[in-house]
Order: sequence, then C-alpha cells, then structure tokens
Amino acid sequence: MRNSAQNRRTRHAAVVGGAVATALLLAACSGGDPEPGTADGGSTADAAGGDGTVTVWHYFSAENQVQLMDDYAAKFEEAHDGVTVENVYVPYDQMNSKVISAAGQQTGPDVVVFNGAEWSTLALAGALAPMEEPWEGFADADQFPDSVIHGMDDHVYAVQGYVNLLGLWYNADILAEIGVEPPTSIDELEAAMAAAVDAGYQGITLSGLPQSQGEWQAYPWLTSQGFDYSDLDEQALTDGFAMARGWVEDGYLSQEATTWDQTVPFQEFTSGDVAFAANGNWQMGTAEAEADFEYGVVPLPVGESGKVYLGGEGQSIGAFSDDPDLAWQYLTETYYDPEGQLLAVDNVGSIPSRLDTSQEAEVTDNSLLEPFATTLAQNGANYPDPIIPPENVAKLQTAMGQAWSAALGGQRSPEDAAADVIAQIQALIG
Amino acid sequence: MSTPAPAAARAAAAAPPQRRPRHQSRYLFLLPALVFLALFSLFPLVQLLRMSLSDVTASTLNSSWLFVGLENFQEGLASGQTGDALVRTAVFVLVVTVIGMVGGFAGAVALRTRGRWSNVLLAVMVFAWALPPVVNGSVWKFLLADAGLLNVVARAVGLTDTALPFLYDQHWALGAVAFVNSWAVIPFNALVFRAALLNIEPEVFEAAALDGAGRWQEVRHIMVPSVRPTMLVLLVLTIVYGFRSFDFIYVMTYGGPGTATNTLPFLGYLQAFSQFNFGLGASTSVVAVLVVLVLAVLYARSIRKEEKE
Repeated sequence: MRNSAQNRRTRHAAVVGGAVATALLLAACSGGDPEPGTADGGSTADAAGGDGTVTVWHYFSAENQVQLMDDYAAKFEEAHDGVTVENVYVPYDQMNSKVISAAGQQTGPDVVVFNGAEWSTLALAGALAPMEEPWEGFADADQFPDSVIHGMDDHVYAVQGYVNLLGLWYNADILAEIGVEPPTSIDELEAAMAAAVDAGYQGITLSGLPQSQGEWQAYPWLTSQGFDYSDLDEQALTDGFAMARGWVEDGYLSQEATTWDQTVPFQEFTSGDVAFAANGNWQMGTAEAEADFEYGVVPLPVGESGKVYLGGEGQSIGAFSDDPDLAWQYLTETYYDPEGQLLAVDNVGSIPSRLDTSQEAEVTDNSLLEPFATTLAQNGANYPDPIIPPENVAKLQTAMGQAWSAALGGQRSPEDAAADVIAQIQALIG
Repeated sequence: MSTPAPAAARAAAAAPPQRRPRHQSRYLFLLPALVFLALFSLFPLVQLLRMSLSDVTASTLNSSWLFVGLENFQEGLASGQTGDALVRTAVFVLVVTVIGMVGGFAGAVALRTRGRWSNVLLAVMVFAWALPPVVNGSVWKFLLADAGLLNVVARAVGLTDTALPFLYDQHWALGAVAFVNSWAVIPFNALVFRAALLNIEPEVFEAAALDGAGRWQEVRHIMVPSVRPTMLVLLVLTIVYGFRSFDFIYVMTYGGPGTATNTLPFLGYLQAFSQFNFGLGASTSVVAVLVVLVLAVLYARSIRKEEKE
C-alpha cells in the first residue's frame, strides 16, 4: 500500500471533479469582480518591445516546485524561438518588499509569483500591472472561478493557476503499529497522538512561525473552536490557542514548531518518527521522494465550523515589465493553460484552478488529491478572509501569526494571547 | 637614459613654487569620502527621518508622504512594542558585550604568542568571522535544535533528559541568539586585542618573570592596563554591533516565539517590510539610530583620547 486513499478510488473521482468545480465557484473572492476593459487580449512576443526575456520572480526552494518553474520555462521557450525565461528566486519573506522597492525604482519582474493572499499589498503599492484588458480577451477566462481572480476597483491584479490547501498527512506504519484509524475529529486526533507519543513517536508537526505562514496554519485549528474573523469571539480564540498549547504540554507537538516554516515540519514528518503533519498538497513530491514509509492524507478533522484556507500562489504581471504582452503570453501558456496546470499537478500536486482541467484524469485519479478536494468542498475558505480590508491584510497576518507563536511557545497564556490579538484585529477590521 | 628638460620646464623649476594652500588640497582628498557619505549615509538618514514623521504605507511609498508629526512614535510607544523591544535590545546588547569582550580578550591572550597553532587558530577565527551571518545563523540553528549537536551532547553527558529549549523558550531564545551573536564578534575582538597585546615590549614580560609574576598576574597587571585604551574603543564598537544586530534573529527565530526576540532592529523590519507600515518602522529605526548616535559620539571621543595617549 503506497497510501490508504487508494482503496477509495471508486468514489474520489466524483469527489475531486465535483468538489473542485463547485467549491471554487462557491468560494467567491472579495473584490474579484473584474470589469473587463476593451483589450485585444494577449499579444505575441514578436510584437513586444522588450528584450525577449521573461523574468519571473518566485520564492520556491523545494525541488519539485523549482522543477515546475523549470518545466514552465522550457515549455514557453520551446514554443517561442529566441525567447528566454529567467526564473529568479527571492526568499519568501523578502518577496513583497523587493517587488515594492523595485516598483519604486520603476523596474521589477515581468511576472511575479507570490502568496496569493497578499495581492492587495502589491497592488496598493503600484507594483502589479492591471490585467483586466488581456483577461477580457482571454478565451478561457470563463474556466476560472471568481475565488482565484483577485482585484479591486474594477481592476484584475492577479489570477491563480492552482489552489493549495492544508490536509492531515499521516504515517500509516505508525498508525498501524498503535492500532488507530486516520482521525475524523479533533477527539480522535488527540487520542491518536496520545497513543503515538506513548509508543515513542511524535504526535504532529505544524508551523508556529510568527508571521503569515503561522496564521495560515493556525486558521483551521482556531476556526475548529468557533473562531471567525467576521464575528470575533475571544473565548473561541482562547479555546483554539489552549488546544494547541495543550498539544505542546502533552508532548504531542514540539514547541520547536515556533521556529519552523512550513517546509521544516514536513521534513520532520518524512523522517518517519511523527504520526501526523498538518501540511499542504504541494508536499506530494517531497513525500514521494523522501518518505520510506506508507503514508496517506485525510481532511483536517476540524469539524463543521472549521475552515481551511484556499491558498496558493497568485501570478501577476509586474507594473514595470519591459514586455507585458510577452509576460501575459507566458502566463496563458503556463499557469493558465490546461497542459501547464497539469504540469503543476504532476510536479507539485496542486489542484488546478481551471474547471475543465480539474476534471482531468490526472486529477481525478490521484488518490492523494481526494482528501484535499473534500476539504476544499466542505471546509474551504477564502484567503484572506474577505472582511479584512486589503490594506490591513499583512498587519493582521503578522499579528495573528505572532499570537499563535506566543501561545504555542508559552510566551503568552492562551487568554492573554487571544485578548491581545482580538484588540488588534478589531482595530484593523474596524 | 635621460633627456634634456625643456627650457620652459627648467624655468618653471627655477621659479619659486606656486604652492596650493594646504587646506585646499586636504579638502580635495576628503571630497570622495564626503560625497560617498552624503549619498549612502546622510541621504538615507534624512529619508528615514522624513519617513518616521510621515504616514507611509505600501500604497503611498512610491508617491508623496503625508506629514503626521510624531504620530508614529506615539503609536509605537502606545502599543508597548517599542518599549518591550528596547528592554529586549538592552538585554541582548548586555550579553553580546560581556561575552564578546571577555571572549575576545581571552582569545587574544591565548593567541598572543606567534607559532604554528596560534596561526592556525587565528585563521579559523578569521574564517568564522568572515562567514555571512545568514550562514552562521543557519548552522547554529541546526546545532541548537532538539536533535542538534548541543542537545545530543547534553543528553549524552546526562545534563538533561529532555531537549534544552534553546530557540523556542521565551527566555532561552533571546539568550541563545545573543550568545551566537557574541560568538560571531569574538574573532574580531580577539584580533584587535591581539594587535594591542603585540605592542607590549617583550622586556616587560621578561622583567615581570624575573620578579616572579605568574600568568594571571601578567594578564592583570600588564596586559589589561596595556589594552585599556583599545578596550574602550572596542567596547563602544561591540555595543553598537549588538545594538544593530538583525541577521541572526531573522534566521534563527524570526522574532519568536511570539515576540520574545523582537529587538528594535527586528521590530523595525517587521513593521516596515512585513506589515508594510513604513512610517512606523522608520520611527522604530530612528529610536535605534539615536542610541547608536550617542554611542558613536562616545566612540569618537574615545578614539580622540586614545590618539592623544
């Protein structure tokens, strides 16, 4: 058994296909209501006035994600003689500031691939080119649900080529040894983690870094206790923090998680001594390459109130691209192209944002994608929450990430961490 | 082979030299440094000050800045973040200064004599000092992890049963990052101290030996007094180094857990480049700059004093 989801193959095709299509449509994005312009769509490299090079800034360092960037470059270069795609790595934490700084100097990348939730930060800084004109002329635009189209003030600034979200990875060998089934509720998860710890294993890994990655990882667990940005409940948030801190105190979760970004905890998981990892679909390639044990994925057991962000990277054209037409062409032939989106499925395990591509066999026959698709359908939530004003998204993410880290690390009690961050959120949301 | 000098040149040589005023040529030599400083130090500082007094966010960074007076400073102080960061910075600087100075002096004493092993050790120290902080920080993050070398050794020798929480306990984390910062500055301090120690005449040590002075007495009564002027300069430099440290915190803890390692420089970074509140971040940085400026004045005075001596 490579993974336990394979025995559910008969039903997951319907789940994946249907869920992706319907959930993406349902998860309507705030501000994602482009008012199309009058453009003539994407133009060709020949007509462009640039240097024949598409410079793409990204923050990927995992091997499979870098491979996808290389595949996109090769695909585009193969189709266009004389055109070069230059992928430039920028550390995750420095991406926004570098793009904004570059815009201040009236320069920057042709294409920027960034945390889709932070499109407003870049757009407000004038670092992204409005894309509504070529988007209007894009024949396949109707294949993309509103939830992956980001913009404001009648402009489209970013469109996602895929969706990423969190699931609960489990080590099937450990679960078999301790005699438990993959959990479907928090109670079952805690019982399984207790059994794993008793057997000498670690319970779970996740990220508690005090920044946006921490907020992204905290959100499902906090909402499982009833927390909601739209209806701030301090007690629910306290309960969420207390639950996670309890995992640390009970030895299920290492307090070291406060120093981990999302990559490290999955490396810990693939080392084979951890029962569970709350991590994303993009780790499929890493799991296949590094895990020498049987593993599987189930939806995060966050109950009915629990929500899981529908994240992923946004793709945009830089405001000072020297060849925006060629940049647009690159996007339409890679991230927004059916074949390109399948490359992301193969390399990274991302869920295609195109409705037609999400029905392809590569997606529906991928048993590991099923739990993510189920989560997407049942617990998917817009990222960021539409109630957060675009100009305050980064501040709120930092504040919540710090509170999550402070609670996990024991710097603040769950009560104090919740009270502090609720006050900050109220000021940011208004 | 020489060639006869032209008549005009001979005449010029015979005439009394037209000397350019000395102070003018001095200013000419100063010009490149002044231009460089104005461009890369003064201008950014003025911009920082302007930004700290303005409402600057991601949406206004590349347009005109609205003057808001001291609002950013008030916001930082009212939130408690600036005050907390100041306290953490003070603790951080104290640890870096004490370990950096004592470690540097001890290293210099150990490396005072010239020989193969002291040269090898010196080379290793220079290598460690020259490593980029990001590399240093990443290596130390591995060393201090639960499964890292230090915890493995601590468990092996029975010092502890569980992992020591170097980087994820709110109290340990600040100390651990400060320690690594100290470790990184020790080679530089040792090199400077060593240069001062090498200036002591060997006869002084010979005389002390004839008088029956032991090793510790040599250190206390000869070396420490001899390096005192250097020590003052180095002390100010080490404090400034500790005060502006950012890289190790960024790599090792990202200010966490929670905000436990948010010192002034890192808080300024978070506010400006994570929350994109550039005005608030600039005000935090201005507070840090003011402290460093005070130390810079002390440094300049100590330099002048040392030159006189």
